[in-house]
This record gives sequence, structure tokens and C-alpha cells, in this order.
Amino acid sequence: MKKIITSLLLFVATSPVMAEVNIFACEPEWAALSQELGGDKVTVFSATNGLQDPHYIQARPSLIAKARRADLLVCTGAELEVGWLPLLQRKSSNSAIQAGSPGYFMASNYVRLSDMPTSLDRSQGHVHAAGNPHIQTSPLNIMQIAKALSQRLQELDSDNADFYQQRGDDFTQRWQAAITKWQQQAAPLKDAAIVVQHDSWRYLFDWLGLKKVAVLEEKPGVPPSVDYLNRILTQLKTTPANIVIHAAYQSTRASDWLVKKSSITSVSLPFTVGGNKQSQDLFGLFDDTIKRLLKANK
Amino acid sequence: MKRLTLTLLIAAALTPMSAVLADDLGDLKAEIAQMRAEYEQRIQQLEQRLTQAENTTNDVREEVAIVKSTPIPITHSNNSFNPAISMVLNGQFSSYSNPTGNYTLNGFSMQNGAGLATEGLSLGESEITLSASIDQLLFGQMTIALADDGAGVEEAFIETQGLDNGLTVRAGRFYSPIGYLNERHVHVWNFADAPLIYRGLFGDQMATDGLKLSYILPTDQLVEIGGTIGSGNQYPSNGSHSGIGDWLVFAKTGGDIGISHSWQASVAHWQSSPKDRSIGDMNLPSPVTFNGDTDISNLSLIYKWAPNGNPTQQNLTLLGEYFYSHDTGTLNNIPTTAIYNGKQYGGYVEGMYQFMPRWRAGMRYDRLSSSINASNVGLLNAANLDLTSFHPQRYSLMLEWLPSNFSRLRVQINEDKSSRNNDTQLFLQYTVNIGAHGAHSY
Repeated sequence: MKKIITSLLLFVATSPVMAEVNIFACEPEWAALSQELGGDKVTVFSATNGLQDPHYIQARPSLIAKARRADLLVCTGAELEVGWLPLLQRKSSNSAIQAGSPGYFMASNYVRLSDMPTSLDRSQGHVHAAGNPHIQTSPLNIMQIAKALSQRLQELDSDNADFYQQRGDDFTQRWQAAITKWQQQAAPLKDAAIVVQHDSWRYLFDWLGLKKVAVLEEKPGVPPSVDYLNRILTQLKTTPANIVIHAAYQSTRASDWLVKKSSITSVSLPFTVGGNKQSQDLFGLFDDTIKRLLKANK
Repeated sequence: MKRLTLTLLIAAALTPMSAVLADDLGDLKAEIAQMRAEYEQRIQQLEQRLTQAENTTNDVREEVAIVKSTPIPITHSNNSFNPAISMVLNGQFSSYSNPTGNYTLNGFSMQNGAGLATEGLSLGESEITLSASIDQLLFGQMTIALADDGAGVEEAFIETQGLDNGLTVRAGRFYSPIGYLNERHVHVWNFADAPLIYRGLFGDQMATDGLKLSYILPTDQLVEIGGTIGSGNQYPSNGSHSGIGDWLVFAKTGGDIGISHSWQASVAHWQSSPKDRSIGDMNLPSPVTFNGDTDISNLSLIYKWAPNGNPTQQNLTLLGEYFYSHDTGTLNNIPTTAIYNGKQYGGYVEGMYQFMPRWRAGMRYDRLSSSINASNVGLLNAANLDLTSFHPQRYSLMLEWLPSNFSRLRVQINEDKSSRNNDTQLFLQYTVNIGAHGAHSY
């Protein structure tokens, strides 16, 4: 009997401690980045897919079950998930992922946000008080977030710190090379005049020097009226644009209307990893985004 | 370059001495060739400088990005230190084909102010909710409802946040975890009025003053179990209890089926020993009272569909709940007493379909039954409790327009057969949310 107990105790003592870091990513881009940086030392779950609007998600039972077992929350922050993440954190009864814990990583804390509203009023639509949260549309942002996330992984799972460091360096190198390549490819797009559905690509526009001519949503999150679309049409006569872009998950009604009424080309962009077939990882996301823009700009 | 050569050639051709000065022409050619070489070298140099400049710009752009993105040590919370404040305002117009004073729900008692909404234009219930993290351990929330007949505390509780291991403890007043709608505030319900079973058993909604403990199992599928203990002073419990007046156990589970479907199921069982709870007609000078044991069981199912899990364009919700309530004890109406055994049961099913962004339509069907026995039928008659096996039923249709995430206009029509007097009902209602962003609970 004693022997059995001793061997059982020994087994328990020597069995490997927590094999993998359980990562709960709110959006697929952060799931992809976590996987790049964590390799086989992490298990990654993405709360949303590329065809969902991260503003409007409900705290579904499946998400509560995943959040309860997460070691690390990797989300955008900046109020993008304000409708469901706080509820999920509270319902998860998991101290590791509460605000301020090491397991709480908000990507928007590591980049400079644009479009900080000067006044906060809901008559202006679904405004984000912290600034434009769609930070994943610029690879320069992702570079910064990757550095911070790699550091966080090293702190959280210090046994594998060297592993994360090495993977982080490797990713940075590959990402840097890719950025240079994308910038060269996208050179002809500089100053291209573009109409957007929702202000989702602010950071992409800054990075590539694209010009936003108009936004189809009259106010963020509010579908445009015909009257407003007509005004855009008139505006496009004086300041013409070649392209109108929308995310794969957004309704195409407004941009279809514009295509019918003018000579503009409509482009569906992946917006995030998994947004279309070609965007299966972060590299594919930007390869495809630039390819689609170049094609439409011809 | 070409132009230069041409000009020079023309100049040369026009020179009167051109024919004689063939040697000079040769010199000129050589000179031109030299000039061309010089220019090409210069252009090359310029091109080189341009490339350099471009590279520098790229470098700078990257540096700028790096400088810009030095970590900003801010944790964005809903409202830095002040509690998040949200306010719900609502108003409605109600129209009935029968006089509202005659409304009864066959076989059920209606208490807690339950019944039909005021006829005509009326200010519905307005609600103020304050919530905030109290410290690293606790979260607090209070909801005050303001109606024409005064203000009331709907909920006021503290709750642990991240106690760990899936455990959560809540203390204070909260909506009892029995039934899907019961845990939700009226303004997020899908219809303007309560399901008939809620009206008949709880007086629209049941709260508990006490403690709630819940535990989420560490499984891939959500399994939550828990219970509450309460003071026993909230209807349908009644009277003062020296210790624990009511208790409840519940279990919930749910998950996703593929990416477009999700569901949740829950069961709950509630027990109490009410003291002198009025039963039947409340408007009698001396209502009949009940002493004994009451237990209520609930089963609820919810299913949601959204294409690719993206509900913004289209989505569907199906919801059904069933309740079974059992009273055993005595009826009193001094000086008469009787042994009483009452069963009341029923439920509703409803479906809501968002057929295009901002527009939702819904249908609901309610059905109730009761089986009431007393050793002295006279007491049941005194309480105006119907002994015939009439089944109250109701059919409802609604249409909603949601101009934004924060506002809603609703029109609803009921064909109400709560009693033998059929009633056709119409509701026009607005509901708006001001302040802190509401939570999208499932």
C-alpha cells in the first residue's frame, strides 16, 4: 500500500507541469499572432472568425467555457469588445484574465491610436472613445504588438522564455522583410482615392499613403440613407475615386449601389485572418489585401 | 538630350562655312558625345540619390511607428473610477378591447403588481443601473426602477470577480436564476409584456434577497451548477423567516453547433415555505391566505442562429420555457381553514427573426393549466379561484425597428385568452439606453 502511494505521489510530482499556455484571442489576427509567437507551447482559441463583426458578439456559453480555462487573453481593447468581453471576464470566474492581470493583454495599449474623438456623443453614431480600434490593418502596428506579446509570453511562461524570444526574433525578421516587400509592391497605390464602407482601414491608409475620399456609413455603425449616398455620389463627381472597399463580413448593399451608379470598382478586403480563402495567416492577409487593391487600381 | 543634339546639328547646318569646316564638325561631334556622357552620369547620380532618399523615408517611417508605439500604460475600463452608469427609458401606448379592471388569469393569483399595463399612454418603467469594480476581488451593481408608483430596488448585489477555479459568489438582491427571462431585465425581453406563466407564478419576475454560489466546470462544453439561499420575503415566498426562507438549485449547459448555431439549456428547482401568502383574488376585503410548502421547477431551452456567427445582417432566436409549481398546505380565511393542494403549470415558446439589419419580427404562444383541490371548496370560491379546467392561452406578434444599438421601437398585438373573455391588445413602445454600453449577454 505504502509503495503504491509513494509511486502515485512520485508520479504526480514528476508529471509535467501545465504543458501549454491556453490563449483566448478575441479576434483571429491575434490568434494568428499568438500562434506565430508561441508555436507548440501554446494552445490558441479565437473567439471570433474572419466573417464576424467583433463589435457585435454575444457572451455565448461556448465562449464562457473557453474563457474559464484561459491563461492569457489577447484582445484588441480600445472598447472594440466592450459589449461582451467584460461580461465574459466576469462570468468566467477566472482571476488570470481579469483587467490588470498578467494574463490580460490588450493590443491597443501598445500602439498609438488615431481618430480619437474630440467630442463624445452617441448622436455621432457608434463612436469609440479610445480611438479607432481597427489596428490590425497596419503591419507596423502588428510589429509593435508582436514585440509586446512575445515579452508577455516570456513573463507568463518563464520556463520557455528563450523559446519565445527566439520565435519572436524570427517573426520580427520575417515580418520586417515582408513589410519592405509590401511597401515596394504597394508603391503604385500611393495617393489612390478610395471610398470605405466603415472606417476600418485607417491604419492601412496611413501606412500606404492611400487617400480616404468618403465613408459610406453616415455615422459609425449606422447604415447610410439613400439621401446620404446621393450626396457621396455628387461629391465623387468633383473628387473622383477608383475603388470602394468593404470588409468581407460587411453588407455590400451600399457599395453595390455606388457601383451601379458610377464607374467605381468594389473590392472586398479580408480585414483579418480568415476573412477570405487567401488570408489564412498574417502574411497572407497583407499579401492578399495589397494584391486586391493593386488589381482594382489598374 | 535629343533636342540639344538636334539644335546643335541645325546650328551646324546653318553655319555658312559648314562645307569647309568638316574638321570642326568632327570636333563638334566629339564635344556632343562628351556632353552626353556627362549628362548621363549626372542622371545616374540623381537616380542614386533618389533611391537613397526613398530608403531613408522608409526607415524614418518605421522609426516613427516605433516611437509612436511606446507602450502607453493605460487600462481602458468603462469609466476610470466612477461607476458605469446606464439608464433605460421607456414609454408605451396600450389599448385593450376589454376593460382592464376585469382582467384575470384563470387558475392563477396575480400579485406583486402584476397584470396589464395602464391603458392609453403611460410612462413605462425607467431604470438606472450603476456598476463598477469595487476592488480586485469584488464587482458591484445596483438597478433602481422608477415607475409611477414610486422607486424600487430591482437588483443590488456584490459579486466576486475572478475568485478562480470557476467559482462565483454573489450577495444582495438579484433576479433568481430560474428561467431564461427571469434573470434578464424587462427591457431586454423580446415582448412588451411578461409571459403569462411569469405573470401567474412570480407577479412578472422573481428576485431573491440572499446569496448565490455558482461553479463552472473546467470542461470544453459549458456546464454551470449553482444554488441560492434567500430570506424568503420575496413573492411567491412570503412572511418573515428566522433563517433561510427559500432555496434554489440550478444547472446550465450550452455550446455551439458549427459556427452558425448555438444553444443553451437550463433546469432549476426552487422551494419555500410561505407564511400567510394571499391567494386568488387580491381585491377582496380579507383575502384567503396560504401556509405550507411551494416548489417550482423550470426547464428552459434557447437556440440561436446567425449565418457564419455574424448576427448583424440576419439572425434567429427560438426560446421556450416550462414551469411547474406545486403548493401543499392549508388555506385560511378566519375562521375557516382547509387542506390545499394546488398545481399550476405551463409555459411559452417564442421566435424572433431579424430579417434585415435593424428590423426584427417575433411570435409568441403562451399556454397555462392548473389543478386545484381543497378540502373545503367554499374557500376556493371565496378566493375567486376558477376550478374548471380552463386553459389560459395567448398569441402575440411583434415588430421592432432598432435605429441603433441603443434604441428600439416596437409594436405588438396580442390575442389574449387569459380568461373566458377574449381580449385583443395593442402595444406601441419605445425603449432607449443611455450611458454605459450595455452588455451583449447570451
